[in-house]
Amino acid sequence: MIKFLFKGILRDKSRSLLPIIITAIGVSLTVFLSGYIRGAMGDMIDLNARFETGHMKVMTQPYLKNKDQMPNDLALLEVSDLMDKLNLDFPEISWEKRVRFGGLVDSPDSTGLTKSQGPAAGLAIDLFSENSKEVDRMNLAPAIVQGRIPQKAGEALISEDFSQKIKAGLGDDVTFVGSTMNGSMAFQNFNIVGTVRFGSAAMDKGAIIIDITDAQNILDMEDGAGEVLGYFPNDVYDNDEAEAIAASFNADYKDSEDEFAPIMQSLKQQNGLASLLDYADVMSGMFVAIFVFAMSIVLWNTGLLGGLRRYQEYGIRLALGEAKGHIYKMMISEAVLIGILGSILGSIIGLAGVYALQVYGIDISQFAPQNNMLMPNIIRAKVTPDLFYIGFIPGVFAMVLGTALSGIGIYKRETATLFKELEV
Amino acid sequence: MKQAIKLAYRNLIGAGLRTWLNVSVLSFSFVVILFYNGLIDGWNKQARRDTIEWETGNGHLTHHLFDPFDPYTILDGHASINDLDVSDLNPVLVRQASIYPEGRMLTVALKGIKPNQSALKLPTQMLDTNCTEIPLLIGQNMARSSGLRKGDIALLQWKDKNGTLDAADAIIVDVFKTTVPTIDGGQLYTSINRLWEITNLKNEATFLIANKDYNGSGNIENWVFKTQDELLATLDKVIATEKASGSIFYILLMLIALLAIFDTQVLSIFRRQKEIGTYMALGMTKSQVVKLFTIEGLMYSILAMIVGCTWGIPILNYFANNGIPYPIDNMDDFGISISSIMYPIYSLKLILGTVIAVVISATIVSYLPARKITKMNAVDALKGKLQ
Amino acid sequence: MKYAIILLAILGFSFAPQQYPNADTIIKNIDDNMYSNSLISTSKMTIYGKRNNRTITSKSYTQGSTKSFTEYLAPAREKGTKMLKLEDKLWIYSPSSDRTIQISGHMLKQSLMGSDLSYEDMMDERELTDIYNAKVTGSEVIDGRKAWVIALTAKVTDATYAKQKVWVDQERYVPLRQDMIAKSGKLLKRVTLSNVQKISGRWFPKKMNYKDMLKQGKGTDFEFVSIQFNPKIPVHIFSKASLKK
Repeated sequence: MIKFLFKGILRDKSRSLLPIIITAIGVSLTVFLSGYIRGAMGDMIDLNARFETGHMKVMTQPYLKNKDQMPNDLALLEVSDLMDKLNLDFPEISWEKRVRFGGLVDSPDSTGLTKSQGPAAGLAIDLFSENSKEVDRMNLAPAIVQGRIPQKAGEALISEDFSQKIKAGLGDDVTFVGSTMNGSMAFQNFNIVGTVRFGSAAMDKGAIIIDITDAQNILDMEDGAGEVLGYFPNDVYDNDEAEAIAASFNADYKDSEDEFAPIMQSLKQQNGLASLLDYADVMSGMFVAIFVFAMSIVLWNTGLLGGLRRYQEYGIRLALGEAKGHIYKMMISEAVLIGILGSILGSIIGLAGVYALQVYGIDISQFAPQNNMLMPNIIRAKVTPDLFYIGFIPGVFAMVLGTALSGIGIYKRETATLFKELEV
Repeated sequence: MKQAIKLAYRNLIGAGLRTWLNVSVLSFSFVVILFYNGLIDGWNKQARRDTIEWETGNGHLTHHLFDPFDPYTILDGHASINDLDVSDLNPVLVRQASIYPEGRMLTVALKGIKPNQSALKLPTQMLDTNCTEIPLLIGQNMARSSGLRKGDIALLQWKDKNGTLDAADAIIVDVFKTTVPTIDGGQLYTSINRLWEITNLKNEATFLIANKDYNGSGNIENWVFKTQDELLATLDKVIATEKASGSIFYILLMLIALLAIFDTQVLSIFRRQKEIGTYMALGMTKSQVVKLFTIEGLMYSILAMIVGCTWGIPILNYFANNGIPYPIDNMDDFGISISSIMYPIYSLKLILGTVIAVVISATIVSYLPARKITKMNAVDALKGKLQ
Repeated sequence: MKYAIILLAILGFSFAPQQYPNADTIIKNIDDNMYSNSLISTSKMTIYGKRNNRTITSKSYTQGSTKSFTEYLAPAREKGTKMLKLEDKLWIYSPSSDRTIQISGHMLKQSLMGSDLSYEDMMDERELTDIYNAKVTGSEVIDGRKAWVIALTAKVTDATYAKQKVWVDQERYVPLRQDMIAKSGKLLKRVTLSNVQKISGRWFPKKMNYKDMLKQGKGTDFEFVSIQFNPKIPVHIFSKASLKK
């Protein structure tokens, strides 16, 4: 039976091709938009993940309690062992060490005395490693206003507004004054090789970015780091997976007596992001539902019209002796087949689109006001498991429903009328 | 032309159910487009609305030495408000302080505000209390990072106007939840009267928040007025970026509507081949027939918009005014679930833009399949032979 | 009768309660012991951190109450760092960066080397009698020594601590404990002085513990290794040039 229907569809291209194409288009739109919404909603979360929380974050327990103070005296030590362990246990995750610190940036005059100084928030990330993803993750390159990213020890980036405030720019030497992990005073000269725009007023007022090895040196944090952040491949957050990883990691330290034992938290567990995540989920769910509903109506209409179109054919078949019920069943089966074919085709196209968007993104720099670190001007989508079946809802069910409704006409009309409906 | 319009109209009405089916689908898409975009606009603007309600009010009259991002300016950035007309202004005094929850020291900004103020959504009325301890109001993020909960007592240390240290017990009278993090972290709110008492800085303020009725706009002596827009500049930049990505939504949604029209047109042309043949036999040129079908397609969209407006406007209006409530389950330490309300925003630009876009694209989409007519053989069409 | 009254009067006098000594006198005696026009000292500061303890050795030159120069000698991290205080300005020189940085404004609130002492605490060198009215309120025994308890109340408006309470060794006129108190009466900081020895004819507490009473922790220990009272200090020591060398 299916073979027969299949053949019918393949042979009668003019009749079935169109519905399949329309279904495919509709389904691909549904899939694409759903993926896109998820990506767009994820923007806020993405921002937090890249800068603050990672998808997972490891800190010592005391550091966690005081984390808003950035207490480097409570930082993780023997971090290379920790990183080895993390890479062994969870190899698919990118683990990055970072140090956040605060202090003063002092700009000297020609005699070496203070010309101007200002408080600065410090961020130390892996800038020098060859395969480091941190530069991309922080959207550093597009956010550079002048100069370049530091390439060797002693080089630093400062925020553009800050550079103007303390009148120190490209090529100038400044001195960072802060506290080491132990509380000693830390003084270190840096050469400004670039300025950057953060996109947040607080950071733009005073911030300095250096490589993590520099931070470890000046803050006396030998083999130490304030925090270790973990990121899923493709930067797509999976909450269930993150919580599982965190639980598994924490279980290893459950009985540890070391008061500075590390603890891992998933993104959702940090910073009250739980409500934001739920909000994003609810919003995107709502949007997708509306879209699927709208698409369904359109495809229902298609199915309806498709059925109405073939009254002549049904009339002939009825006249030839085919039972009404049989015709109806055949209609439905055909619709199912068309629906499935169209949905498969549409889903493939839609998924390809979403995936391309996820990997490459759309660059909207020319439309957006300014390039900065916090808001990358690349739109991305997100492939989620439900994208694989979401297209089938409008694709199959709506089609079938439409066809079923139009099929009712068969029962209502006289055979002769059907016959004549589309007169030869 | 006029004839074509009349004919097109009669065809549509004559087709009866089929027409109304298509029109209702199209009108539904039309309303959905508006609703959707309104929702997205509203979602983007929500952040702005929240910031206004919780932080900026109608603008800030700020002491000229005070820079909210530079804690070093707190010490000197304040002055007396005795000479100011404060009928629509709410004074806030900021001082640096330290709080010691469980023996740890946290440096904070202590902000004194009038308990009965109405410029911001902060639940400051909770600060109107006669307890011996200093009443404090904190945000949820502050509560989380300090470990303080409602009812907790901790030692607060500050300096009075001469730099003399003082310390006393403070009690957390309430913890508020907000979507505006900038008023939350590292800040404690207390009654400004109490703050005046303990610092001896009577009647002084660091900045004043203007409420809705504030009419002044300029700077006054030591005070600089920052308008609401100035204060929201950074946020507005973010929203502008979001808008660019929002336009992709718009395009995708338009495609649904256009798909519906296209679908209808193709099928209708296919079905009405005999009719087309008849027109041509009666003397209409092919291009006239094409024009007829194009106008029919256009009319679908116009009818759809009229129908859409009829049932859509009341619904959209309702949501715009009352918002869409949705519950967020907040399973954190406090176990409170907040119900939030989302307000869609329909700008005139959105509505007009959609109308024009639908009309233009509907015309194009109707025209494209109609071109097939030009390739039809009139005689075969008349006979009803499928081509 | 007249005779009895006179006798009673005389008797009454001798049974009058013994007056506490004049507080100002006591404080003057402390000043005589503790302060000198100039001072050269070597000391060790032990900071008890959450994870480990650090001991920093330094050599200080002080002239009056307005000039002071300190060079840090150990450990290696700190070695070569120098601090100069002139009036109300503070400069720090770091050898690793070869820079002299001025510390001012709110940076002064920062803790010195992570100790319980802030730069600000070091800056106020006014004599106690300039800031406070002193009054003896009693007598207690501390660390086995009999001590006068003196209550200090601020007589200027810009005193950092509204009140202080000092326990002074009655025999040696050396403070054994100093409490810094807020306006509300809360105890903010406590200095405990011990290891009192006679040096060049003065009684001097060679060990001091400085503790922020609001925080947890052990506070910070200061120990004098050597003290020279009233030496002649070359003027150039108190100049920015000596920061470089």
